[in-house]
Amino acid sequence: MSEPLLEVADLRKEFGGLTATDDASFSVSAGTITGLIGPNGAGKSTLFNLISGFYAADAGRISLHGSPITDASPAEIAAAGCVRTFQTPRPLEGMTVREAMMIGPQNQPGERLGNLLWRSGDVAAAERSNLRAVEQILAKFEIAHLIDQPATDLSGGQLKLVELARGMLTEPDILLLDEPVAGVNPTLRNALAGHLRRLHEDGTTLCIIEHDMEFIMELADPIVVLDQGHVLMEGPPEAVRSDERVIEAYLGGERT
Amino acid sequence: MTAIRSRLSIPAEPTVRVALGAVSVLTMLLVVGLLTGGIGPAYLLYLLGLSGMYVLLAIGLNVQWGYTGMINFSVAAFFGLGAYGSAILTASNTPTGLSLSPLVGLVVGVGLAAVVAVLIAVPTLRLSADYLAIATLGLAEVVRIIIQNQRAVTNGNAGLRGLPKFSEGWPLLGGFPTGAPTVTLSEITLGPFTLLGFRLGRPVWQGLLDLSVVVVMILVVYALVRRLHRSPWGRVLRTIRSDEELAKALGKPTFRHKMEAFVLGSVIMAVAGVYYAHLNLFVTPQNLAPINTFYVWIAVILGGAGSNRGAVFGGFMIIAIREGTRFLRELLPQQLGSGGAVTDLYTTVIGNFGATRLLAVGLLIVLVIRIRPEGVLPPRSELIWPETREEPDE
Repeated sequence: MSEPLLEVADLRKEFGGLTATDDASFSVSAGTITGLIGPNGAGKSTLFNLISGFYAADAGRISLHGSPITDASPAEIAAAGCVRTFQTPRPLEGMTVREAMMIGPQNQPGERLGNLLWRSGDVAAAERSNLRAVEQILAKFEIAHLIDQPATDLSGGQLKLVELARGMLTEPDILLLDEPVAGVNPTLRNALAGHLRRLHEDGTTLCIIEHDMEFIMELADPIVVLDQGHVLMEGPPEAVRSDERVIEAYLGGERT
Repeated sequence: MTAIRSRLSIPAEPTVRVALGAVSVLTMLLVVGLLTGGIGPAYLLYLLGLSGMYVLLAIGLNVQWGYTGMINFSVAAFFGLGAYGSAILTASNTPTGLSLSPLVGLVVGVGLAAVVAVLIAVPTLRLSADYLAIATLGLAEVVRIIIQNQRAVTNGNAGLRGLPKFSEGWPLLGGFPTGAPTVTLSEITLGPFTLLGFRLGRPVWQGLLDLSVVVVMILVVYALVRRLHRSPWGRVLRTIRSDEELAKALGKPTFRHKMEAFVLGSVIMAVAGVYYAHLNLFVTPQNLAPINTFYVWIAVILGGAGSNRGAVFGGFMIIAIREGTRFLRELLPQQLGSGGAVTDLYTTVIGNFGATRLLAVGLLIVLVIRIRPEGVLPPRSELIWPETREEPDE
């Protein structure tokens, strides 16, 4: 395996008396789809919030491309190439899909006030190329027909697709997806699996939290299993499926 | 593109008509008032100047709340910083007695507001929106009380007088009102009405000059904020308003954007304050009363949060409501029959119209929020840099 793109070492986060992340360590290698599974309350989302900078870790280290991002802000981490999506994407009020997608591209000259006043030519040029990129990526995800829809009119599944497409517009080195198929209808779910596979073939590194076992077992390799805040095991899907500890964590302790 | 635009503007059109209707009815009433001598032309121009001031304030708050979702309850404080910042430097009979040009006052008033905006924003903008609301609520009172008590500079509750007009001291413009011709518009008698019985004397020319100052200010500010709103910068602000976490997750430095929007909005409010000081020629700590903040909030809510046109409309409506209710009282009968709870209530309302006006404003807000939560002129979809549209679509 190639060198780790994202590395989490002895990461710890406590909320009052609850240890949500308990010395968790794992890594995501470049070019993989890494699945992150675990029973409810295992600390998967907390882990994502720690990696993406939304929570501050109590102890431990996170590094991206070998450089530490433990204390970086969410925006800095995203700008460094580690971009996340949310479990329940909220539509951007009053925006069309086109406008909502236009938030994606990084380093837009038009996001600086000075450029708007004195370098409007550069702003317009960047807007034009970003608009083209938006159209292309929506076509790639087969949602080009939604471009002029108000974002608030989309279905849950469409929102997830838009969010995925926007995540890709940021040209991330690694994309963290929080339950991409939760609440998505079966047709769209298969389409999403296809899109994720294609992204993988194109070389995008993905790290996916998912509750849908069938979906994640088919898609991801390796799989990291979390239980009560720590990493229970890490390995290929077949090994995870047959592991006693994993079965126990999911089904409860009584069976042993 | 044009197809999309026309499709989008269809649902907005009826409300545009409503808004235009309201404006034209008001204009007609004003014209009638003017022609029949109910409103003196100089007073009318003064009212229009005040409306312009509210338009500026509403545009400022719209940048902060409408675009970005930041709750600022110190509109009156930033307005006051502009007004006092300029008044202290320009007035002839202040304790300091500097008598500088109003242009210096404009620069200093605006600069003062910008500095205070940064000071209040640094500790609060990283926290959730509620903290900014609480901090600004406090700031408004602190600024007002400081102005009230620093008598050596601000003359305390007595206020500052002897301010120059904004146009004073300018080549050509400065001498215009006195040099302008006096035109007497001859009377025309139409049945019981006497029309056009007034003179375009010095107060009217001065009023016109004051009005054109605020019109120029509004045009500049409106063009600026419209350009900024339709840019990638404005898009980030709108994203912050809907979902700040999302903006952060997509790599946007939200603190910087919020800071810029907050300072820009506060500076626009200060411009309104500077204008007011040189329109009214008298400022007191009373100008910083919380009610003025809430008038501006009403303007933005009424017009439609995030909408530049809405802010302009809302600004005018505030003066229409404030002044319109004054005339309404004279039009309504002072008493209804005699006896009964309804009649008593009616008499109380009419007898205290100044106070019940606020009640009416409150009811209006409730109605707007119930019937049209997005405001009378909600924002149009306009978050793509306009210059991009001029290129042919591929």
